[in-house]
Amino acid sequence: MRSLALAFALLPMALAVGAEGVKFPAYKSATLPNGAVVALIEKRDTPLVAMNVTVRGGGLGDPTGREGTASLFTDLIQKGAGNRNAAQFAEAIENVGGSLTAGAGTESLGVNASFMSRDVDLMLELVADALQRPRLDAAEFEKARTLAVQSIVAAKDADPRALMSSYGDAWLFRGHPYGRSVGGSEASLAMVKLDDIKRYYAEHVGGDRLIITVVGDFDAATMLPQLERSFGSWRKAGAAVPTVTAPARVTGRPVLLVDKPDATQTYFWLGNVGASRTDPARTAQSVVNTVFGGRFTSMLNTELRIKSGLTYGASSSFSRPSQPGSFHIGSYAETSKTVQAIDMALDTLARLHKDGLDADQLKSSQSYILGQFPPTIETNGQIAARLADMLFYGLGPEDVNEYAQRVLKVDAAAVRSTIDQSFPQPDDVVLVLIGDAAKIRDAVKKYGPVTEMKITDPRFAPATK
Amino acid sequence: MLAGAWSAAGLALAMALTLGAVAQAASPEVPGASQIVTRTLPNGMKLVVWPDKDIPNVAMYTWYRVGSRNERPGITGISHFFEHMMFNGTKTRAPGEFDRVMEGNGGANNAYTSSDVTVYQNWFPSSVTGLIFDLESDRMRNLDFDAGKVESERGVVYSERRSSIDNDNFGTLIEQMQATAFVAHPYQIPTIGWPSDIEGWKVTDLQDYYRQYYAPNNAVMFIVGDVDPAAVFKLADQYLAGIPAQPAPPAVTTKEPPQLGERRIRIERDAQTPLIAMAWHTAAASAREARVMEVLLSILGDGDSSRLYQRLVEKEQAAVDVGTQFDAGFDPGLAWVYAVVPPGGDVTRTEKLIDEEIARLAKDGPTATEITKARNQALAGFWRGLETISGKAQALGQYEVFHGDYRKLFDAPSEYESITADEVKAAAATVLRPENRTVGVLEAKAEPKAPAKGGAK
Repeated sequence: MRSLALAFALLPMALAVGAEGVKFPAYKSATLPNGAVVALIEKRDTPLVAMNVTVRGGGLGDPTGREGTASLFTDLIQKGAGNRNAAQFAEAIENVGGSLTAGAGTESLGVNASFMSRDVDLMLELVADALQRPRLDAAEFEKARTLAVQSIVAAKDADPRALMSSYGDAWLFRGHPYGRSVGGSEASLAMVKLDDIKRYYAEHVGGDRLIITVVGDFDAATMLPQLERSFGSWRKAGAAVPTVTAPARVTGRPVLLVDKPDATQTYFWLGNVGASRTDPARTAQSVVNTVFGGRFTSMLNTELRIKSGLTYGASSSFSRPSQPGSFHIGSYAETSKTVQAIDMALDTLARLHKDGLDADQLKSSQSYILGQFPPTIETNGQIAARLADMLFYGLGPEDVNEYAQRVLKVDAAAVRSTIDQSFPQPDDVVLVLIGDAAKIRDAVKKYGPVTEMKITDPRFAPATK
Repeated sequence: MLAGAWSAAGLALAMALTLGAVAQAASPEVPGASQIVTRTLPNGMKLVVWPDKDIPNVAMYTWYRVGSRNERPGITGISHFFEHMMFNGTKTRAPGEFDRVMEGNGGANNAYTSSDVTVYQNWFPSSVTGLIFDLESDRMRNLDFDAGKVESERGVVYSERRSSIDNDNFGTLIEQMQATAFVAHPYQIPTIGWPSDIEGWKVTDLQDYYRQYYAPNNAVMFIVGDVDPAAVFKLADQYLAGIPAQPAPPAVTTKEPPQLGERRIRIERDAQTPLIAMAWHTAAASAREARVMEVLLSILGDGDSSRLYQRLVEKEQAAVDVGTQFDAGFDPGLAWVYAVVPPGGDVTRTEKLIDEEIARLAKDGPTATEITKARNQALAGFWRGLETISGKAQALGQYEVFHGDYRKLFDAPSEYESITADEVKAAAATVLRPENRTVGVLEAKAEPKAPAKGGAK
């Protein structure tokens, strides 16, 4: 206890450093003639350059029933572009020690590249080719689609933790676009045709959708005209950026039980609709969630792991797209302890509502958040991604620069109102369980109506009528 | 993330299945490297300090030269379990206080155990450096074993085992193959521990371990970030210098005898996608052969342009994914090649294709382009590893502990430059021989299941 007092005596110093120590680096930005937004930061401590291209739209542009279209598009643009076929494209990247990946999210898709600074021209050429001159070859498409299906099957044979959010989002947001699996399911990928990819490309990828950020060891004065030449005259996307309405919160406790007969643990995901990226209460949510389920000593991990040894880990988090996304709790326990662990998670959520945070917890959380923030914007890639994120959501550098003040401003009243508004009540959460259904089926009926599917079903949620 | 982002545990095995080559490459001038300072305390503990003011934070990595290689039947997994107990109370601090104090002051931590080492990682704002020294030295000097905590932590580790081994087909296969490839050397022991040992560790086992291995002369500490070396050494004098040295722990002397013929194992489990892996005995981390093997494995399986990816995934559709791994440790470890076979696929065919690619490399050697590619990948990897203070602390530790001197980190790019096509060709022929390998296959119990419904066939 003596050292705990000492610890808190040191607290104000830590807060001051956190508050003053982190300023987002100054960036040069421009809007190109076609609407593409470009932002650059020179950072010269390593001879590396990171590039992030974000294209608004993402999986929201997938045709209904053909989820995974945008994701397959991002696979395919790496399989031949410009004057290189698939093998040549991979060699061009890897021969110089570069990395270039593309992937789709719900509301955007993107390309991330990291090359040594001596190869920066090649990096720009490859990224521009991938986005503007993809071959979209029919044979490569069939291979990419088959591989995407097989990769989902392979994931079902591996650690179930990696699949929880796919099932969780599909169950929580069923009927809403946020419930559509961005990577697709085995069933939806089987429906996607090359024409869908081509249509997606024409309608949802183009210069007006672009946010390009480059961070690292390069000269911004020459990079800007280079980017303008490479991307500034590219055509616009044919359709409007897809929009979504806010999903409705779920009432009651619908349970999805995914049967994995050989599982010796039950993996569970409990959640409801939470908050958006621009929610004014987002900082208060983070302060509360840090205490509830966002760090090792959190309430959830303390109950399920530290005190009881039921699990290796229990945590909670917000996923924040442009409309409210999920707030969810995740953990796992030996099959015979399934109910004990879920009860404990729900009881801990009830306790958060009842007791809130005390003054020490609030201070500890603020200190933790500020202390752990600087390493989140340390590398070229992290800074490029953070800058792209700010531009995507219309936030300025104050999102970082005033972060410390926002964290420190969270007071007891803000904590209470955030718990009331952003954290679900334990009676209103959807549950997803992956485990040996024969052993837990009856016991979990007490939470709510149970819908059952098999892990081998080719979807992440039961087929809709 | 649900997984143990902050859990006190990472297994070498888990890392093994995710990483690409841990390579570095052409010896360049590294900004700030000239400011690295070291000091060895009278009790034998060495500190390496790299001041770096890029962010107002510090990464402190404490490496102990102990891992599952130091274990024996009955206490398998105890190095890793001990790692968990390092967070669970001292004679001066109650269980849990270490984490509460650290997090309440803006710090975070984790740790991992491998066959060779146990590494404790603290990340914190530089303003609380003194406090973190206090916490770290307290558990090196005063660790206590609360009987109740030993029992609850058993459950935590068992849950970790279920996720990373028992409910993960790759985890299951790799564990069984390691136990098969080594008949004498303790690399046969799974770092997480066999289930009956997880259930069986006693407090006296932990006490013995603490005394033997958790001595200052068996540890090296790396401090990278917003610090002044003189101030760090003053803290080291205050908190660490008074911890008494211990007799050197018993050396691991068992050597694995040469393998005299191929070993094959088959694992039967629910599986839609069969797995195949191969593991060959090769060299210790510090040997030149280890570097050659890293280059060889990167040419075979690192990236979409690699030989195995192009042949098995792109051309023949005989694998969903392929990869390679080199286990770099104090003693000669294994070189791995693995493939995920498509649902309903023919494992024998996948194996034959891997064999063909290995034979081709052994017969003709790598191309000049492939050697240049491996060097460039190593060089880029070297720089990426130095982008963060934690990356720097990890890289310094790797070279100090496994190569005997952290300064060899900065020679790594030129060492990769020196590796020739002939060396790679020779290693493919002499190391990747069938008589020197263990082959493992994991498949469904009965007939392989039909491909998933709705597949893109």
